[in-house]
Amino acid sequence: MGYTELKNRIDNKQITFLDGGIGTEILRRGYTWASHQLKTEPELNLEIHQDYINAGSDVITTNTFQLSKRSFRNHFANDEHMAALGAKGLLDRAGKLIYESVALADKARRILEKENILIAASITTLEWCFRPDRSPDVSKIYHEYLEELSDYADAGADIFLFETFNSTPEAEVAIRAAKEIGKPAWVAFVPYADGRLLGGQSMAEVAEAMARNEPDVLLLNCAPPDHITAGLEKLAPLWKKPLGVYAHVGKFNPPEWQFTDEYNADQHLQECKNWHNLGATVIGGCCGTTPEYIRKIIEFFS
Amino acid sequence: MGMIYNNIRKKLLAGHTILLDGGIGTEVIRRGVRWRQHGIEDAPDVIRDIHIDYINAGADVITTHTFNLTGRNFINFFRDREHMEMIGAPGLPSKAAELCRTAVSLAKEALLNTDKVDTIPLAGSISPVMHIFRPDLSPPENICRAHHRECVEILSSCGVDLIFFEGMNNIREARSAMEAASGFDLPVWMSFVPGMDGNLLSGESLHSAVEMVRSQELEAVLVSAGNLQMITKSLQNIVNGSPCGAKAVIGRYSPPSWKPDFYPRFENIEEVSLETYARQAKGWLDQGAVIIGGSSGTTPEHIRTIKEIIG
Repeated sequence: MGYTELKNRIDNKQITFLDGGIGTEILRRGYTWASHQLKTEPELNLEIHQDYINAGSDVITTNTFQLSKRSFRNHFANDEHMAALGAKGLLDRAGKLIYESVALADKARRILEKENILIAASITTLEWCFRPDRSPDVSKIYHEYLEELSDYADAGADIFLFETFNSTPEAEVAIRAAKEIGKPAWVAFVPYADGRLLGGQSMAEVAEAMARNEPDVLLLNCAPPDHITAGLEKLAPLWKKPLGVYAHVGKFNPPEWQFTDEYNADQHLQECKNWHNLGATVIGGCCGTTPEYIRKIIEFFS
Repeated sequence: MGMIYNNIRKKLLAGHTILLDGGIGTEVIRRGVRWRQHGIEDAPDVIRDIHIDYINAGADVITTHTFNLTGRNFINFFRDREHMEMIGAPGLPSKAAELCRTAVSLAKEALLNTDKVDTIPLAGSISPVMHIFRPDLSPPENICRAHHRECVEILSSCGVDLIFFEGMNNIREARSAMEAASGFDLPVWMSFVPGMDGNLLSGESLHSAVEMVRSQELEAVLVSAGNLQMITKSLQNIVNGSPCGAKAVIGRYSPPSWKPDFYPRFENIEEVSLETYARQAKGWLDQGAVIIGGSSGTTPEHIRTIKEIIG
């Protein structure tokens, strides 16, 4: 299945399945997420991708959340300071790891002879995803996105998944860059308890901005199920094109994740049914979800 | 002012060398502990051992494992407190204070364990409000002051012997920190982070920063969190006859990409040998410093080697 085939399915509102958490899955399997573990534990990365493919995911996601040049730069006062104190090659580290991440996802699908599975590049906001107040000046970030997206495209990613975005202006730049590169853009925003974006915009504003920019799929992610529901109830009536969701389960316990039994895989499936009824046709899991969660969803809907 | 600190003060005023400890966060990671909650919940024994090792290496003052351990460091991951309460783990709002108290206890246990509880003062470490290397993120004065006051209150209530503001990177925040510490009847030390040119990392004059803090009854001023060259260069801007000191990082800062705060992982610490570091530290004494120790990357062996060289 190439992207055209997937697009037809999605455009026809046939249900399509994403994978679940990756960073949290690395933690759950006993490893630290002090790095993405792409170089240090490639087998672990491979195993997680394979588990999601075996669970039935149509699209798997690269293990690259918040892996960007800027994220490393942000630890220093400026580039000169980084050169003096930073690890060797730190400025090129993100680009190299991005390549590794796509290669590992690709290897997983080849090992399982499921080359119809597509690879979505996980790309979040340039600054910390939960801090809309730190959003960068959007007039200055187009080339930064272009550079980052080129790395994923060169490595062979099929889709750009802009996830955990907190406001529309940055997403618009990201989509514009994706179109320049010539790969499909999916955009996932974080909703909040009040049914607005984490950054405060209303879903009407989201729908309006996205109508102008036309992402292939519009999604809500990285919020607990009740926040996803609150957002989806507002967004679904305003968005007739493909819509998706992937919620997190558990609690964010920086710098790690606290797994809780508040929404086990069965309860999570109940939420997914509700989201599907509300209009979501692309469904997966965010932080805290596991291959078991995805398997449950797929068993029910298939 | 406590008796234990008085001994240090006398030494400082007499121009005697005071040896500090070295890296703690980097040492926690080097000893294989997973960096979450500063390793305090997972591996209290390791942290206690690190303090003990520094005491046995010859440190005259030891520092609490509280750098970058404040409520702010947790809330920074979230939009605001309400967001943290909704999606964050239960107990996060009070987590930092609890961990700080445990960290102080661990240092005290180390002192008791080595029979130095009456002679070695415990310095309560307080970091900048935001990332140590990002002066541009330092918040307005009133927020800095409130933040630092909260930190001083916690450490003071746990019974540290002095407050050590470590890694201040701009004058405004340094001033706020000094104001926050006033009224606690605790001696205050402060270290500044230099940039490449020997001035503050913010670009402001280090000389002006030192003038400002000295006018506020600071006991000692240091430079820290730069490499050997940066520390040696900046030290000349703080030496003026009053107690001053220096400690440098070794190795190369290697943070993970996803973590917005300082993460104490340094690679290639072997690039600077024990002897090279110790000789350089001795050189700082010749430049006029009286307090020397180590920043991130340094280990108890570095402190031991300095002790051997300076006698």
